[in-house]
Amino acid sequence: MSGIPPGGDRRDPRRIDRRKHPALSGHLELLSRMSGHLAVTLNIEETIQKALDLIVQFVKAEAGSLFLLENNDTRLNCKASVGPVDINGLILQADEGIVGQCVTGNRSRMVRDVSEDPDFDQSIDESTGFHTRSILCAPMNVQDTRVGAIELINKQGSDGLFSEPDLLMLQTLAAAAALAIHNARMAEELVEQERVSREIELAIEMQRSLLPRARAASFPVSGINLPAYEVSGDFYDYFELEDGRIYFSLGDVSGKGMDAALLMSKTASLFRCLGKTMHEPGALLATINKELCETAINGMFVTMVCGIFDPVSGEVRLANTGHEPPLVRAPEGTFRALPASAPPLGILPLAAGGEGILDETFRLGGGTLYIFTDGVTEGEIGNGRRMEVEGLMNIINEHSDRLVADQISAVVKRLQQTGKQRHDDITLLVVDDLASKPAGKTPPLLTRLTFRAEADELHRVREAVRQACERCGCTPELTQDLVIAIGEASQNIVRHAYKDVETGEATLEILHEKGILEFRLLDSAPPVDREKVKPVWPEVIKPGGLGVCMIHDIMDKVEFLEAPSGTGNLLRMVKYLENDADET
Amino acid sequence: MKHEIINKQGATIIELKGEVDLENSPAARELLLKSIKDASRVLVDLSSVTYIDSSGVASLVEALQAAKKHNTVFALAAASEPTRRVLELARLDKVFTIYETVDAGLTD
Repeated sequence: MSGIPPGGDRRDPRRIDRRKHPALSGHLELLSRMSGHLAVTLNIEETIQKALDLIVQFVKAEAGSLFLLENNDTRLNCKASVGPVDINGLILQADEGIVGQCVTGNRSRMVRDVSEDPDFDQSIDESTGFHTRSILCAPMNVQDTRVGAIELINKQGSDGLFSEPDLLMLQTLAAAAALAIHNARMAEELVEQERVSREIELAIEMQRSLLPRARAASFPVSGINLPAYEVSGDFYDYFELEDGRIYFSLGDVSGKGMDAALLMSKTASLFRCLGKTMHEPGALLATINKELCETAINGMFVTMVCGIFDPVSGEVRLANTGHEPPLVRAPEGTFRALPASAPPLGILPLAAGGEGILDETFRLGGGTLYIFTDGVTEGEIGNGRRMEVEGLMNIINEHSDRLVADQISAVVKRLQQTGKQRHDDITLLVVDDLASKPAGKTPPLLTRLTFRAEADELHRVREAVRQACERCGCTPELTQDLVIAIGEASQNIVRHAYKDVETGEATLEILHEKGILEFRLLDSAPPVDREKVKPVWPEVIKPGGLGVCMIHDIMDKVEFLEAPSGTGNLLRMVKYLENDADET
Repeated sequence: MKHEIINKQGATIIELKGEVDLENSPAARELLLKSIKDASRVLVDLSSVTYIDSSGVASLVEALQAAKKHNTVFALAAASEPTRRVLELARLDKVFTIYETVDAGLTD
């Protein structure tokens, strides 16, 4: 007899009936004990063994085993066994034997005489020497997920037959065990997920540490990298060489996953390490290419732009391997693209004795160099439209009178305004030829003060500077420095500008707009020798020379402009303000 | 600018007060040079200086040079924040002996 459905024959005399079976309290006690065990443990092995021990003992079976499905549900593995023969670790095909039929058919089996059941597999008895007479087997599942089965063998005592209440009991316990196993597996998965997410956090931290730290607004190179997901396949970097030139690079690794992030880390590290000694961008990229080719991962490559900028002359030496052409914006507003001169890195080793990777040398002439990844130009800006190179040029033009950091913010803001999940990293690097920039639009006037070029007027000049700085929200330290700088500049007018002529007047104008504080000192004295007002630290300490050096130390930009009336001297001093939120 | 001169423990302490700028650095210079001639140890108390410019700093440098000639010990003491910053900008914070307090300058 086999295959009695759950519920069984209603006339079965051994069916659980509260009045006829006071032993019901024993069932409840077992259920309660097992539920307790199953609820507290998240260790699968321990859970299973305890459950099986209790079931076997309660149902009075000679042996019992618990099988779990594994290997994509293709096989059953015995994870716990009770009885004279230990079959722990026994592997069966998912549909093998009575237990297999029970699991695949998702139905309980009660086989009172295995010799009459075609599904019974003799081989196990033959190999173990155990004699199986009867089997009670119940599947374990949680909702639609099959977990395995519990099998009890050879009912002990009385008639040696498993009963319907035995089956009901086994089914109930199997359901509880299945749930416990499922929970334990979920807990293990959660722990694993937690571990993986911690690993990813560390990777993110590691990648962030590869990016250069932000510099003052007056530093000519700045950039941004916003990963679309956790880690980035893009990078940028810059650092100063001993001679004052700045090495910079930006790269984009094919792909977007952890593999791209690791290749990004490798390439960025190679740039920073090799850049210290190799001051030819083309040769440096050729070396990185060789290194990447030697350890290539199939199909992965890196597009990269790398160059050296001389902030004094405005000269750039640049090489581009397969990257989207960077743009140079001239002060007049025209753009020029710089196409790649070599294929991406990591694909083909360069032929020995060949030309290597060519670099190009040009002067920015007060212009600005923009290097970006396709995450910028292919980024969506609404209505399914991409930014494209034209869109980027438009944003740059709209913000051309702004600091580079503000331009970068404007580009990022446009790319983020759709609020959608981006699919590519945004990376942008800007090199601004600040030193050669022509005097731009004049910011709004904050204060104008005209004073006699006499020593007793200097206190009044300094007070005007102090008040203006405070109105602009400068820190006390910055205010103090700016008072020193303008104090020195005004003092120089009093001491030197009018030394050979009758003393006249001078005018200080303080202008302010977001991020920029500008001071203009105008006198009507004969033109000063501009060589003398260059910062040269004196061998012999003289106050005039000291003052000029202090001004240059404090200000981001110091220059003489043509005086409006054609006579006199106009000294322009600029301080870039960080975190300057409000216009005065 | 105001000043005060105290003789204490064999040293002349010159306390400069207020702003030492182009307007009054000539007075400061004269005061310092005279003390250096007369004393073996000169300590300039800068605690009450609210502003000093390069001309004031130049007076201190000149006094230091004169002190060397006269074998007079010349040091600065209790530099106020504005003084400290200007000396730092002028790269002179290591050229002068600067004591944290006037007392430290006296006992050294």
